[in-house]
Amino acid sequence: MSPAALRVEKVTVRYGNTVAIEEASLEADRGEIIGLIGADGAGKSSLLHAIAGVGRFQGEILFEGHAYHSPKEAEPLKPHIGLMPQGIGLVLYRNLTVGEHLDFFADIRNLKRNEAFLSYRERLLEMAGLAPFTDRPAGKLSGGMMQKLSLICTLLHRPKLLILDEPTTGVDPLSRLELWEILDNIRREEGTVALISTAYMQEAARMDRIHLFDSGRIIARGTAEALLAGVRNYSYEPVPCPSERCIQTGHYTYALDPIDAPKKEPTLEALFFVHALQEGRRIPPIEVSPRESDEAIPSLVMEARGLTKRFGSFVADDHIDMRLQSGEILGLLGANGAGKTTFIKMLLGLYPIDGGELTLLGRPIRSAEDRRHLKSRIGYVSQHFALYKDMTVRENLLYFAQMHRLPLTRALPRIQRLAEELGFAPYMEALPSELPLGINQRFSLAAAILHEPVVLFLDEPTSGVDAIARSQFWQLLQRLKEVWGIAILITTHYMSEAEYCDRVVLLKQGRKIADDTPQHLMARYPEAKSFEEAFLQLYKEKVI
Amino acid sequence: MNRTFLALVTKEIIAFFRSWGLVAVVLYSFTLDIYIAGKGIEIQAKNVSVGYVDRTAGALSGKILARLHAPEFKTPVRFPSRKALYNAIRNRKIMVGLIFDTDFSREFYRGGPARIDLLLDAITASQSFQALNYLQNIVLDFSRTQVHVKLKIHKLFNQNARTSWFMSLAELLSITTLLGVILTAAVFVREKENGTWDIMLLMPIDPRITILAKSLSQVLILMGGIFLATGLILFGTFDLPINGSLAAFFLLSFFYAFTSAGIGLFVAAVSRSMLQVAQMAILIMMPMIFLSGAWTPIHAMHPLLQKLSLLSPLRYYIEGSESIFFRGTPWGDLWPYFAGVILLGGMLYYYGFRKIGKLF
Repeated sequence: MSPAALRVEKVTVRYGNTVAIEEASLEADRGEIIGLIGADGAGKSSLLHAIAGVGRFQGEILFEGHAYHSPKEAEPLKPHIGLMPQGIGLVLYRNLTVGEHLDFFADIRNLKRNEAFLSYRERLLEMAGLAPFTDRPAGKLSGGMMQKLSLICTLLHRPKLLILDEPTTGVDPLSRLELWEILDNIRREEGTVALISTAYMQEAARMDRIHLFDSGRIIARGTAEALLAGVRNYSYEPVPCPSERCIQTGHYTYALDPIDAPKKEPTLEALFFVHALQEGRRIPPIEVSPRESDEAIPSLVMEARGLTKRFGSFVADDHIDMRLQSGEILGLLGANGAGKTTFIKMLLGLYPIDGGELTLLGRPIRSAEDRRHLKSRIGYVSQHFALYKDMTVRENLLYFAQMHRLPLTRALPRIQRLAEELGFAPYMEALPSELPLGINQRFSLAAAILHEPVVLFLDEPTSGVDAIARSQFWQLLQRLKEVWGIAILITTHYMSEAEYCDRVVLLKQGRKIADDTPQHLMARYPEAKSFEEAFLQLYKEKVI
Repeated sequence: MNRTFLALVTKEIIAFFRSWGLVAVVLYSFTLDIYIAGKGIEIQAKNVSVGYVDRTAGALSGKILARLHAPEFKTPVRFPSRKALYNAIRNRKIMVGLIFDTDFSREFYRGGPARIDLLLDAITASQSFQALNYLQNIVLDFSRTQVHVKLKIHKLFNQNARTSWFMSLAELLSITTLLGVILTAAVFVREKENGTWDIMLLMPIDPRITILAKSLSQVLILMGGIFLATGLILFGTFDLPINGSLAAFFLLSFFYAFTSAGIGLFVAAVSRSMLQVAQMAILIMMPMIFLSGAWTPIHAMHPLLQKLSLLSPLRYYIEGSESIFFRGTPWGDLWPYFAGVILLGGMLYYYGFRKIGKLF
C-alpha cells in the first residue's frame, strides 16, 4: 500500500501562552475529503493554516514525500497548495468582475493561457454556475456565489492539496450543496487531497474521514458511520437523568450507564456530549427563577406588515409580514445576507423603516418618540455578543443595571442570581475577552435580561459556539419562555436549530419564503430526513 | 437621572484607565512631549559650528574669533581654502563660515571699510540669523561709529527671554486641543468599532444625557492631564512664573476642554474607525493651531489670516493663558479671553452635540 499523500504529525500551534491546537495528527489519501468539525476556537483554523504553510507550528508535516516544519520549508510546495481562508468573499475584490478575478488569479499563479487552461476555466465556471455572470463585479454577487467564485479561484492552478476553512458557514443551503458538488467532482477528477472545516455537523455525510475538535484537541476521528456506532449505545430519547454521568439536552439524553429509556438514533453532536461525560465533566441542568416584575405581557408582542428596507437600489427586506406572540420562540432563519439582521435592526429602530407598518407591544411605531419608553421592555443580544471589553463581567452588569435604573438593592442580588443560574459566577471579575465563547454568550444574555424585558431579540447568538454550549443555550431560552412567558425572536444560519423553535420564518434574499411550525414544514416534505433537507426543498421551490 | 449620569461618566473613566495604550499616550503628551517642546525647540543660537579661512597675519582676525565662544558658538575651525570651507558647510559640518582676505587688516587700519566674507547655512533659518545677529554685534564693537547711543534693554514678563517658557505653555495648550478632540471622538468611535453602539442606543436613556456624560468624562481626564503638566512640567521643570491667578487658568482650561470636546463630537459623528478619527483630528487641528499664534505671533501673519485667527478659540486660550502666567492680568481684565473661549467653544460644542445627536 502506498503511503498517505498527506501526513500531519503532532502539530502544535501556540499564540503567546495560549495553545490553539495541541499535538494534532492526521492522514489523508489522494482524492479524499478530510473533515474538521468543531466550534470557533477549537483549533481548526490554526491547524489548517499550519498545513497550508502560512503559520508557524511545531511538529512535522509531510506532503507527497516533502517534509516541512515551518512556513519557509513549505515554500516549494506552495504551487501545489490552494487555501481558501474563513469569511465570505475574503479573497475577492469588490470591484473586479468574475472574469477579471479568474484572470488575476491565473496571473499571480503564472499560469499559461493554453488550450487546457481555457477549457478548465470554462469547466469551473460551468460547475459554479457562474458562466452567465462573468461580467458581474464580485461586490454584486450573493454570498453563495461569492463563495463559489472564491472556490474556483482557489482551484484555478489545480492544487494537489486543497485547504478550505469553513467555506460553507453562513451560505444558503442551495449554494452549499453546489459547493460540495464542485468539491466532489474536483477531488475525483484531479485526485486532490481536500481538507475542509465546517460548523455544520450535517455536512459530515459528505466527508470521507471526520475529525472532531474540542478546545485544541482532536477528540474523535473516523468515518461518520464508525463515529456514530461508537455513541449509539449512549443515546436515548429525552428523559430526565436518573444519575450522574448523564446529560439531558432538548432532544436527547446521553448516559454512560444504561438507563431505562428507549434508544434514539444519534447525530454526530452526541460525540461531544459523550466525550464530555467520559472526561467526567459535569453539565448541570439550567434553571431559571420566575421574574420579579409582575408586569402583564400583551399576547401579541410584535406585528410587522410589509416591512421593507432598502440600501440604495438593493432591497434588504422586501415586504415582510411577521407576528410574534408572547410565550413563543420564533426562529428567523436564512443565509448571510438574507436580511435577518436588517429585519431585527428595523424592529429595534436601529435602521429607519422604509416601508410598511410596525406595532410593538401594542403601540404603532412611527417615530423615535414612540420607541423611547418601549426600550426598557425590550432585551437585545447583538451579533458577536458585543459588550464593554474594558470592564469586568460584574462591572458590565452593574452598568446595565444602572442604565435601566434598577435600585442597587434589587440589582445586586439579581446579578448574583443570574450569574449562578446561567453558570458564569466564577467569571465575575474577568474581562469579557477572557471568557470562553459559551460563557460569553450566557453573560451577554444576562446583560440583556437583567431588566426583565417582555420581549427578547437575539441576533445569531449560537454562531460559532460549541455543541454543548449551544444546546444549553437553547434550553435556557426554552426555560425563559416557559417561566417568564416572554416572547423570543432569534436569528440563526443553522437550519438544524429550527427544531428548537415554536415557529420558523425562512428568509431568502430579503423575501419571506416560509412561516410555519417546524412540524408542519417537515410534514410538507415527507421524504426529507432533516430540517436541512426540508429547507433545501423549500429553497429550490421558491425561486426569486 | 443623577445615578445614570454618574454611571455613564464612571464607565468611561474606568474604560480609559483600563486601556493602557490610551493612558500611555495621554501621560506622554502631558509630560514628555511638553518637556521636549520646551527643551528641544531652541530658537536662540546655541552650539553653532564655525569655520574660517584666514589669509591675514592673524592679529585682528584672532581677536574677532576669540569672541566666538560657548554656549553660542563652538571653537572655530580653521580651513586652508575657501573651497574647503564651502565643502564643509555643504556637508553640514560647519554652519557659519568666515573668510578674512589678505587685505582685511590693511583696510581696517587704513580706516576704509574692511570686508569679512560670511558664509551662512540658512536652512535652519532662525538659528543662523540669530548667529548672524551675534556676529554683527561683535563686528560692531570693532567698528568706530559716530553714533553715541547705547541701548538699555528691559525684557518684560520673560526676563531671560527663555523660549522654554513660551514653548512649553504653547505646547500644553495645543496638546489639550488635540487630545480633547481625539479622546472625545474615541469614546464614541470605540463603541462603533466594538459593536456596542447599538446597545448604547437601546438603553432607555435620553441621548442628550449620554452625550453630555461621555464628553464630560473626557473633559475630566483632560483636566487631570492639565493639572499634571502644569505642576510637573511647567512649574516643576521649567520654573514658569505665575503672575496671575492659577484658578483663572484652570477655569479657562475647563471651558476650553469643552470646546475641543465639541470638535471631538463632530469628528465622532463623521468617523467610523479610530484611523478616521486620527485623520480628521489632524485635518481640523492643524489650521486651528497655525491660526492660534502658538507657533507664529499673530501680528506677523498675513492680514487675512489675522482676521481668520479671530475664529480660532485656541487663540483666546493661548493669549489668555499667557496673560495669566506672564503678564499677571487680573480676573477683571481676562474677560475678552473668557468670552472668546466660551462663545466660540459654546458654538462648536453645540454644533458637535447636534451632529452626533442625529445618530441617536
